[in-house]
Amino acid sequence: MPRFVVMRLLQMIPVMLGVSFVVFISVYLVPGDVARTVLGQQASDTAVQALREELGLNRPLLVQYGIWLWDLLQFDLGYSISQRVEVASLLGEKIVNSFILMGFSLFLVITVSFLLAVFSATHFRSIGDRLTIFGTLLLASAPTFWLGILLLYLFSVKFPLFPTSGMQNFYDPGGFWELVHHATLPAIATAASSIAIVTRVSRSAMIDVTNKTYMMALRSRGIRRRRLNYVHMVRNALPSFVNISGLQVGYLFGSAIFSEIIFNWPGIGLQLYNAILQRDVPMIQGCSLVIALTFVISNFLADFIVRALDASER
Amino acid sequence: MHPNAETIATPRRAVKPRSSFFFIWRGILADRYAMSGALILAFVIVAAIFAPWLAPFDPTVSFPRLRLQGLGTPDHILGLDHQGRDMLSRLIWGGRTTLFAGITPVVLSALFAIPLGLVAAWNDRLGSIIMRVMDVLFAFPMVLLAIMLAAFMGPGMVNMIIALTIVLLPYNTRVVYVAAQQERNSSYIEAAIAAATPTPKILFVEMLPNVVAASIVYSTTIVGNIIITAAGLSFLGLGVQAPTAEWGIITSDGRQYLFNAAHISLLPGILIMTVVIAFNLLGDTLRDALDPKTRLALASRK
Repeated sequence: MPRFVVMRLLQMIPVMLGVSFVVFISVYLVPGDVARTVLGQQASDTAVQALREELGLNRPLLVQYGIWLWDLLQFDLGYSISQRVEVASLLGEKIVNSFILMGFSLFLVITVSFLLAVFSATHFRSIGDRLTIFGTLLLASAPTFWLGILLLYLFSVKFPLFPTSGMQNFYDPGGFWELVHHATLPAIATAASSIAIVTRVSRSAMIDVTNKTYMMALRSRGIRRRRLNYVHMVRNALPSFVNISGLQVGYLFGSAIFSEIIFNWPGIGLQLYNAILQRDVPMIQGCSLVIALTFVISNFLADFIVRALDASER
Repeated sequence: MHPNAETIATPRRAVKPRSSFFFIWRGILADRYAMSGALILAFVIVAAIFAPWLAPFDPTVSFPRLRLQGLGTPDHILGLDHQGRDMLSRLIWGGRTTLFAGITPVVLSALFAIPLGLVAAWNDRLGSIIMRVMDVLFAFPMVLLAIMLAAFMGPGMVNMIIALTIVLLPYNTRVVYVAAQQERNSSYIEAAIAAATPTPKILFVEMLPNVVAASIVYSTTIVGNIIITAAGLSFLGLGVQAPTAEWGIITSDGRQYLFNAAHISLLPGILIMTVVIAFNLLGDTLRDALDPKTRLALASRK
């Protein structure tokens, strides 16, 4: 196991370098001159030249990347054009807020899809099973941005059960339940399609287990159905459940961007959206980089947990 | 053909060669879910193609006095939007844009991924370079990469299609790469090498037909996802631009009017969901139809 961790950590280094290079080089997709875009069309040529010098745009590409990477290692992501502050200083708080939302979403994915899968597999081909499958088909096909709006309309506008936006009340901030109250709708919207996928995959894994010969052997020994289902079937299907849940982390990152925008959740997705609206290139770069790097790290953690839980690896 | 060829072949009827289209067709006919998916798609695609004739109004013409009117308004059965434009017409035209923006990147990325994957599987050195680059692209969440590329390139339909094509490339290349690696060790390739067939011919004549199926199956299972992502990019203002009718843009337009005209936001999403469900139902069947292991069952079924 320690060997596995060290190997995976070493493998992460080139991937992270590659990710940072893609984010760095993507700026060259901006049509026209970056300095000109930053300063606006009215800017004088001398001002543009000065900024080019400041940003190091006149130097060779690899030198630019080296300088950028060196700054990055010191948590310097440049200045936000629209807000005139350091990008890195804003992102810390935002990523924590995003983690809170993703934590709630992951919790929903794990609990809801586990319960649904166990129910579906133990009631194979019943009406309940069919309804579950139909429900997952609907959830897997609904765009997050639309599902968020639908939830907002149903449970904030039609029946005002949940707040429409933000993380907290301004007049009464704080408190865990306050946070849960605000996070419910965005977390459901974020988790929906992942719940569908995890439910389907773990349901078929559980059905596969039921058809195994060792299950037949247990059945012939007269072990009660309840014990058979809830102990033997579930335990043997657990690795594939954990595996597919781990794979959903990346998907949650994508969906969270949309729910943050719809529900005005002050996370990194909303920050990215605002940066796009203001054409704030360093901020777009910073947000993308932070999301991508956290994604690489969470994939590593998911891998680690899957391995730790898999009995055959011990 | 020799006159007796027919009689010689008859005793072994089971090996009658069938094209992939036969299996796709059989698979769709045999499965009522796939059948309903195909019918929905046929309906939506016909509506998209004939939008200019089907839509009762011009999607950009507004009736200012009727703005925000809901479902069941006379002459405007699905209501009107915040500028008083007919919702039914906008949805029909919107389908045209959304489907085009969602399907094109899938086709384009397959066209790039097939040669990339074949070359990567054939030449180990090139292969490791290509696959390492793809690994880096894999390290991004799909939606984030699409948003980032589209944001830097600037809004617009063409840029969005380029961004989505790049995003799909690693997934598609990996599918082709894995399929081609399996083919590489098979005996017909060995025979081709022994016969001194030039490498390009081995790759693009011998191997190609056997990896294309994998790519097509993958493409149909991903189309639904890409339609959602394309609509999402337009929703964020990164794709197709207003006043063009597009399902993501219509959803975004309606966001400010949830309190009094929720139909603007809610209707296009229902359509996106329907189309994606149809693609997903069809994708499952296509996977079975093109998989040599399950296709025998389809051939024997009458």
